[in-house]
Amino acid sequence: MSHTNDTHAEHDGGAIAEIKKVTIILSVLTIVELILGFWMIGMESKALVLGIKGTIVILMMAKAFYIVAYFMHLKHEVKNLIMTIVVPLTLFVWFIIAFLADGNSFRNLRNTYNPYFKEQSTIKVEQPAHGGSHGGGHEAAGAAGAAHTDSAAHTTDSSAKNEDAAKHEDAKH
Amino acid sequence: MSTTTAASPTEAKLWGGGKSPFSVEYGKVMMWYFLMSDAFTFGAFLISYGTVRFSTNGWPDPNVVFKSFPFAPEGVNAPLVFVSVMTFILIVSSVTMVLAVHAGHNMDKKGVVRNMIWTIIGGIAFLSCQAWEWNHLFHEGAWWGRNPFINADGTASSSNFTNFFFTITGFHGFHVFSGVVINIIMLIMTLTNQFEKRGHYNMIEKAGLYWHFVDLVWVFVFTCFYLL
Amino acid sequence: MSNEATIIEDVHVKSVTSHDVHEHGDHGHHEHHETFLSKYVFSMDHKMIAKQFLITGMVWAVLGGLMSVLFRLQLGYPDASFPFLESLLGKWAKGGQITPEAYYALVTTHGTVLVFFVLTAGLSGTFANFLIPLQIGARDMASPFMNMLSYWFFFVASVVMLSSMFVETGPFSGGWTAYPPLSALGDASPGSKTGMDLWIIAMSLFIVSSLLGGLNYIATILNMRTKGMSMTRLPLTIWALFFTAVLGVLSFPVLLSGMILLIFDRNFGTSFYLSDIFVNGVGALPNEGGSAILYQHLFWFLGHPEVYIILLPAMGMVSEIMSVSSRKPIFGYMAMLGSLFAIAALAFLVWAHHMFVTGLNPFLGSVFVLLTLLIAVPSAIKVFNWLTTLWRGNIRFTPGMLFAIGFVSLFISGGLTGIWLGNAALDIHLHDTYFVIAHFHIVMGVASMFGMFAGMYHWFPKMYGRFMNNTLGYIHFWVTIAGAYLIFWPMHYEGLAGMPRRYFDFSIWESFKQFGELNKFITIVSMIVFAVQILFLMNFFYSIFKGRKVTSENPWEANTLEWTTPIRPGHGNWVGEIPEVHRWAYDYGKDGKDFIQQTTPVGADESTH
Repeated sequence: MSHTNDTHAEHDGGAIAEIKKVTIILSVLTIVELILGFWMIGMESKALVLGIKGTIVILMMAKAFYIVAYFMHLKHEVKNLIMTIVVPLTLFVWFIIAFLADGNSFRNLRNTYNPYFKEQSTIKVEQPAHGGSHGGGHEAAGAAGAAHTDSAAHTTDSSAKNEDAAKHEDAKH
Repeated sequence: MSTTTAASPTEAKLWGGGKSPFSVEYGKVMMWYFLMSDAFTFGAFLISYGTVRFSTNGWPDPNVVFKSFPFAPEGVNAPLVFVSVMTFILIVSSVTMVLAVHAGHNMDKKGVVRNMIWTIIGGIAFLSCQAWEWNHLFHEGAWWGRNPFINADGTASSSNFTNFFFTITGFHGFHVFSGVVINIIMLIMTLTNQFEKRGHYNMIEKAGLYWHFVDLVWVFVFTCFYLL
Repeated sequence: MSNEATIIEDVHVKSVTSHDVHEHGDHGHHEHHETFLSKYVFSMDHKMIAKQFLITGMVWAVLGGLMSVLFRLQLGYPDASFPFLESLLGKWAKGGQITPEAYYALVTTHGTVLVFFVLTAGLSGTFANFLIPLQIGARDMASPFMNMLSYWFFFVASVVMLSSMFVETGPFSGGWTAYPPLSALGDASPGSKTGMDLWIIAMSLFIVSSLLGGLNYIATILNMRTKGMSMTRLPLTIWALFFTAVLGVLSFPVLLSGMILLIFDRNFGTSFYLSDIFVNGVGALPNEGGSAILYQHLFWFLGHPEVYIILLPAMGMVSEIMSVSSRKPIFGYMAMLGSLFAIAALAFLVWAHHMFVTGLNPFLGSVFVLLTLLIAVPSAIKVFNWLTTLWRGNIRFTPGMLFAIGFVSLFISGGLTGIWLGNAALDIHLHDTYFVIAHFHIVMGVASMFGMFAGMYHWFPKMYGRFMNNTLGYIHFWVTIAGAYLIFWPMHYEGLAGMPRRYFDFSIWESFKQFGELNKFITIVSMIVFAVQILFLMNFFYSIFKGRKVTSENPWEANTLEWTTPIRPGHGNWVGEIPEVHRWAYDYGKDGKDFIQQTTPVGADESTH
């Protein structure tokens, strides 16, 4: 592409300045995200946490915009190219809404009609000691495994489940 | 249709055939649409992660899980620190990549080489960080199908936290790895003057698009796993 | 943008164009030193790759069709024993009766190969490769090499899928949708073992193939149109193939993600799709917290656009063939474009209408109902435009034209039942019954097959420089369309009576005994229709070598660019310069002329359309 040779004198300075500007913006956005992240730790108010998470998502979108628009140079492309990229991406809106809404609805369904599922989310367990369970193979440390500190002792899956069920019986009484 | 096209001569010039309507070569068009396609792959992963999270009552607290960094004393509690380092590494490598592309536009071979080397170093550094983090988590008992971390509310967790974490960061890491390989190939091609012979550095630009996309995905992965 | 930037862009554009031209000028020289391997096997000529896709698709169509005959045999004659089945299927048909496992494997493989290998690769792979460069005026695809890779990925996928039929435990047998837990747990059924692994590998390779192809089609259509070929002068085939490619590029990756998660569930102890599962003989599984519905969402996010990936190329070809054979411009070109776009966009928004009975949130379901029913609008626009194109046309009933008309008929019949199924309330009754089978076979399966046949009859002279036999073509058409309706129409009644799909044997149900004779009838018709397809294949292969020779460049008197090439175009398509385009593709019966080719300059006193 010979064109840059003719014009790169002023083109150059502008482009470098733009790269610098975008670098600073991205750094600032990341730092703000991190500050918000630190602030959230141990926060009690659910509403505030939700608000912060919303803010973080907006900041994330802003970062994505700067990367795509300036680093990937999309902003300086022909408008048609921009449109053919951006328009299909709007499909994500319904993609995200429908998936998450159905996930949420699935949880509500299970909480309403699946007493085992509901119960699982009320029983507090101990955090198992670190470093102990890797290489343990098949115990999967899922809801069944993590509920027991001695999960590694289970040899068959069905016994894990049975004991689990027994434990829940105990918890009820 | 020529009545409408006559009304907007620039439009007709762009779309009239015989050349690219976007004023770009076909390789770049393909790269863009490939990245769109890949965005849907990652999008599907992250949305699946969100869906499972929404369909579960409890979820582990990332600040409890990711709280260590290399050479730190045992039991250190420093959430978000290490991942911030990783994020900045990737952003900086993206910046050097832009500079390499820019140098390519100016047919500045030296600038391309210098910036490509920095980009490759950044990519390798990121991969090393990820390797350390995976290794660390593995030694804490986390792996596909195994989740030692309980939910934030103290209830038993399912293994899906680690399942998604390793799958998605692994898939992203695979992209970073292939990006590094592509960049190394680009560096070799630059050093052997292939682009000088062609008279343009378009390949660097396409590799750059891919590299920025990897950075872009990390923005989402980072947010979804470490912050939300 | 500053003036300077515009100038820069112009320079850029020029160098891009000259680069392309130069690159393709080179192709002309390759022909002198072509070997058998580079001409027929690892060819980078889009026309040869198209033929490769077509022949591979045909092999799969025969296999898939044969499978349907076999399982129809079981449904029609559940108590009879056919010794030839044992010699064909061995242990899968002990005593001449298909086992339930074999039945499910046949149904699953039939669905998978027909949907993906025949109607996706075989249809859009063939005609996108063949028609895009020829109709837009390009010497080849943007990247001939990627195009070749696309075919070979498809070929390897085919081999893997085929090999899955010969493993000890049989091919996957959990339905073409591969829902977990059947697909996620090796212990769930014999077919869920090695067969499923091979199924996933084949599908992943297929996704790569379709991605390589799709990117190429999009880039070619956008970047490589000849001078004067503006987007609104493109024939509708190209527009349809363009949207098909976009759908594939955006939706297949989602299936890829779903497949990757499935691989982890199968092999690495994760539980993305698994929760609360008890396997007979194994006990309760440790997998907790996953959601099988998630897989369905991911699958249908591809699966629904896939329906249009199959249908749109057929629509495009039908539009083109109808206009040519009615000697009339296509009615409502812009409306056709708009409806193609609307269908492509809506295709992404309606996937959960396949999932109304999964426990989908009813409110969410109602949104999906609304979006689904919206598809009726662009579909109806297309149907009316086809009918009005025929209206008072000077119709030439070539076999291609008959199949195009048959497509419209089937599209209407099958589309109307789509309105039933799109309603969540009705779907609760009709879900997973033969009503659904009837609906999607008519509207998607047979209709697209008709589009494919139409395309094959119509472009056969361009592919091989000969005509196919017309008489055999007419027999093929009339038997196939009558057979299609005779097979699938009765299934609506079976479905309304609640007869479920994917059942091995209905004779033990009192409520379905009444359909015994009907099932026998359907089976007999399906065998006749299959036999006629073999007749078609004989016609096809015979005509390649012995068919009536094409004597003029433009046997159908059509306007589009492929008919300006030599009768047997070489690699590079045009001898000399690529022609310039001066008008749209549908100037039929204009100003007293029967047809005016796109390359004809617009006269001084001529109005443009």
